[in-house]
Amino acid sequence: MNKDPNKGYIALLGWSLNAIEAAENFDRRYIVVAPEWAEEYCQKHDIPHISWNFERLNDRSMEIAETLQEMGVDVAIPLFEETVEWAGAINSLLLDNPRLYGQSLLLRDKALMKRRAQLGGIRVGIFEEAHDKGDVIRFLKRVNQTLLKLDGDPNDPIHLKAFDKAGCLGHRVIRTPDEVDTIPDEEFPVLMESHLDGWEFAVEAWIHDGKIAFLNISEYVTLGYSVFVPASPELEQYRPQITAQIEKLIKAFDIDFGLIHPEYFVTSDGEMYFGEVAYRPPGFKVFELLERVYGFNAYQASMLVFDPRSTPEEVKAFFPREVEDAKCYAGCFGVYPRRRVVSRLEIPEEIEEDPYFESHELTSPLEETVTKRTAFGTHWGLIYFKGDDPHRLRELLKHQEELDFYV
Amino acid sequence: MTTNRHTQEANPPADDDKLRGLLANLDEAARMLGEARDFAKPGKLPRVLDTARRVLLQPGGAAALEARAQALEEAGVFLGSDWATPQYLLPSLTTYALKSTDANTVVIEALSELRLLAVAKGGYAHPQVSAEQAHHYLTQVLAINLWLLFSAPSEAERETQGRLARIPRQLFHHLAERIGYEHIIDKLIEEIWRILQQRPIQVDSVKQMITQIAICQADPDIDLGASGQGADRLVSSLYGPTRACREDPGLEVYRERLASMDNAALQGEATGFARAMHDTGLVSPYHPVLLRHLLDHGDHLLAEALGLSSTGRDCLLCYRELARALIRSAVHPATPQAVYGLTLMLERGILYQPPVAPAMWRQLGLSLSEWSQQRLSLAFGDTVSPRARLLEGVLCMLGLPLGVGQGNNPTCQSARALSMWAYNDPDYLLQMVAWAARDDEIVMHFEGQPVSSRESIGGVAQSLPMDLDPVSLIVVPHLDRIYAEMGRRCIGREGDPHRWVNPEFHGWWSGRGFRINVDVATGQLEELETFLRHFYASYHPYYNGNQPLIHPQPAGIAVTDSAARFIGWHAITILRVSLDPSEVMRVYFYNPNNDSGQDWGDGVQVSTDGNGERFGEASLPFEQFASRLYIFHYDPLERGELARITQEELDRVTQYVHRSWGADRIPAADFQADAGPRPRDY
Repeated sequence: MNKDPNKGYIALLGWSLNAIEAAENFDRRYIVVAPEWAEEYCQKHDIPHISWNFERLNDRSMEIAETLQEMGVDVAIPLFEETVEWAGAINSLLLDNPRLYGQSLLLRDKALMKRRAQLGGIRVGIFEEAHDKGDVIRFLKRVNQTLLKLDGDPNDPIHLKAFDKAGCLGHRVIRTPDEVDTIPDEEFPVLMESHLDGWEFAVEAWIHDGKIAFLNISEYVTLGYSVFVPASPELEQYRPQITAQIEKLIKAFDIDFGLIHPEYFVTSDGEMYFGEVAYRPPGFKVFELLERVYGFNAYQASMLVFDPRSTPEEVKAFFPREVEDAKCYAGCFGVYPRRRVVSRLEIPEEIEEDPYFESHELTSPLEETVTKRTAFGTHWGLIYFKGDDPHRLRELLKHQEELDFYV
Repeated sequence: MTTNRHTQEANPPADDDKLRGLLANLDEAARMLGEARDFAKPGKLPRVLDTARRVLLQPGGAAALEARAQALEEAGVFLGSDWATPQYLLPSLTTYALKSTDANTVVIEALSELRLLAVAKGGYAHPQVSAEQAHHYLTQVLAINLWLLFSAPSEAERETQGRLARIPRQLFHHLAERIGYEHIIDKLIEEIWRILQQRPIQVDSVKQMITQIAICQADPDIDLGASGQGADRLVSSLYGPTRACREDPGLEVYRERLASMDNAALQGEATGFARAMHDTGLVSPYHPVLLRHLLDHGDHLLAEALGLSSTGRDCLLCYRELARALIRSAVHPATPQAVYGLTLMLERGILYQPPVAPAMWRQLGLSLSEWSQQRLSLAFGDTVSPRARLLEGVLCMLGLPLGVGQGNNPTCQSARALSMWAYNDPDYLLQMVAWAARDDEIVMHFEGQPVSSRESIGGVAQSLPMDLDPVSLIVVPHLDRIYAEMGRRCIGREGDPHRWVNPEFHGWWSGRGFRINVDVATGQLEELETFLRHFYASYHPYYNGNQPLIHPQPAGIAVTDSAARFIGWHAITILRVSLDPSEVMRVYFYNPNNDSGQDWGDGVQVSTDGNGERFGEASLPFEQFASRLYIFHYDPLERGELARITQEELDRVTQYVHRSWGADRIPAADFQADAGPRPRDY
């Protein structure tokens, strides 16, 4: 697509073909900042590119920021969790706003993030950092004492998460002190949280000029397995409260622009608890789902709200109306093999025959033995569904958990 | 041409909706592929191929893709693959692509064929190939893959491809229709005769093929040239076997003509029908019209119309009322094959076994459960009542016990049991049918403990099979669950469960003695020599005191493909062992697979005709058969000495084993062979 020199020049941090394709078809100039292995591919396909290794920030960190500045780049967008603080560092230079780097560090550390949220008057569960197994056992006991459990009552579980990994990576659920022994020492330090019984959901909010430009609620059917958008009417009824929460979050973290992806629980009495927030596109391909539902490209949406040269009018014109303009409900399910030994991929016939089934991105198994999952782990691929009835879609997604896709 | 050429029903609207939905999905996926820059195309292609795969599985799907061929190619479906240069494609490679276990390979091959079809038909001017080239290419592809037009998927395909095996078939029906059968018709005819020689119960697909030939012949626009000469008997047997229906006047006209015929004319009609039926095993829809008409005439004409020998005629006269009742209930223009079933059942003389005739009376009055009625209507439509449909099935199974086929299902055990009972224990079969069709439950016993088909948690087949004859359709789901349950009750025992399951499942006559030449734990060959000597001693007339086999015996075969590679374990029945017309000792056996004429590689070509086989039998020279055998049963009380077969003969058999399925199962001290899959039925 023809690029408009009056609009922003954008750096994409990290390698994502979908993002590149979106940038290619958008009217802004762009450049991909990705590891060296991508260079040959970019040359072959004529993709603007700078090689950069995203290790921990070091003395050379200024180099990439200065290079981009010299090229006239206006802003950098993080595509993955690991590039969030890079974007913060680069943008503090490009936008001459040192606060952005500090903000990105807050958004990278789950413990700091919770404290900041708490300070901002947002409700969070009980949480603590753990440096060894002893900390975990103490926390488990204390949480359950607080809940007035007697000896012998089943414990309420606690959740362990890595400080700085995306989504469900490294997420464990601990119920008894015995289970603590299964945690490898190298996983410490971790963040511990009390368990909240309730409905977990996520939000994707595009923010421009400190205001919400578009707010999507993603309904989880089962955490780590399935999600759909827009949320069902039962969850959408909380939209005003959710919007208020997001506004609090924007204030607490002092977010002026960009895409945020927080997770919340809503408990049975309608109370919202903040889980965590990420400053990057969500995993689980919610972007793809949004495109199916609303027709707009969510990567382009991000480029738009990050671009300091975008006007409020342009932003307003870009986004559809939430829920009202949705053409359908779309959801996806992450497949984990359920058997220990698998030989081939076989989509169950009932799924293939289902009118809601749209497509899948599963591939044939490379190995016959399935690695045992310790934490939540990584799924083997997604299946996409879409249809008009959110309840049928939710049941369908739930039902997937009982099926074998690898036999 | 007015009789059953209209059986291809219009697609129910639900299917149409599904196809429409899928096509919308496909068009969107193709649009996204087309719009994507080259670097992004590989990411968009899987969805296009997967959606195309689902379209291909729908009725009308191939035609819809043919119409989209150009759009799909331009979107970049073939980009970067061999299919991008159709001028270099080799027809002979299509077989491998279509048999592939990789869905994308099958689909892209299918799409390429449909694209060339669009080119051949002039709907798509292709920059690299002309319409003539495309036409020539497709004709070759059709001829090479003719099997796809005729046969249900083989074990090999079922095992490796699963549902995918349906795609090449649907594709080829579409290709053949569009390209024209005249280009492939002679091969078609040869193939039809080969299949009919095995006298299957299910002849719908054969009838469809013959109908295709008839339509081609009748169409003035189709120039068959010199081809299609051998089709006359086939076509006439369905559409005009006698003088009074030669021009296929329609059932009503024929009924009127019968009314005005004298005895001599009726006699002529009767003989004509009988000859056609016995020649081909196919029954014309006009035949039932005559039979029902003859109910009001003497027994003589009835016997003529069935083409009965003196045995069959005796039986007919003995069981006059029963035979007439059967004709009234089961023989309709929509169930013509009932005539053939009835005829052969009479010829077998099984009505003389005391329980069979009363059991047939029970069958005549049997009230079917709701479930049974629904299944029958769903599978066969409702032109006749479900009861008549089932009765036709019963007659055919009793008349053609070796014509039972398992369809495209992993239920060889159940098909084998049904065939064995029809062959050996007909009243037991009728009992099973009554229980299944009326009560929705069969209870068998395993080592004294009842096993109910209703309580069992599941069978070998994961979904309810539909592509079966009426009796199998009703009974197989029960048998399959019972069989699987018996297997489950053997969990934890050492060795192969067939040792215990086979005799309990099939009948008391299955020998309780059991031999297997594969070590279940390792999959390695075990005691091959003793196994073979014992098999010779039990079954080979030269080594067992010239004792012909008394009861059919279940046996297990290691099936191999035409390259002699192991495919899987398969259940068959050994029927008899005797010298063939050229004095070669042969094993005659029943294979529940739908077409027994298979090439097992290394020169082992299973014969179905011309070597002394009776209808439905498969046969191999004794040595070759022994080389594919891995399980047999024997009577432990009659176990004689191990046969003193010559080392030479033994070596020959062993070589056959080692060159085929045993190649990677040879236990050896000096090298460690790969274990290979363990025995398990499918």
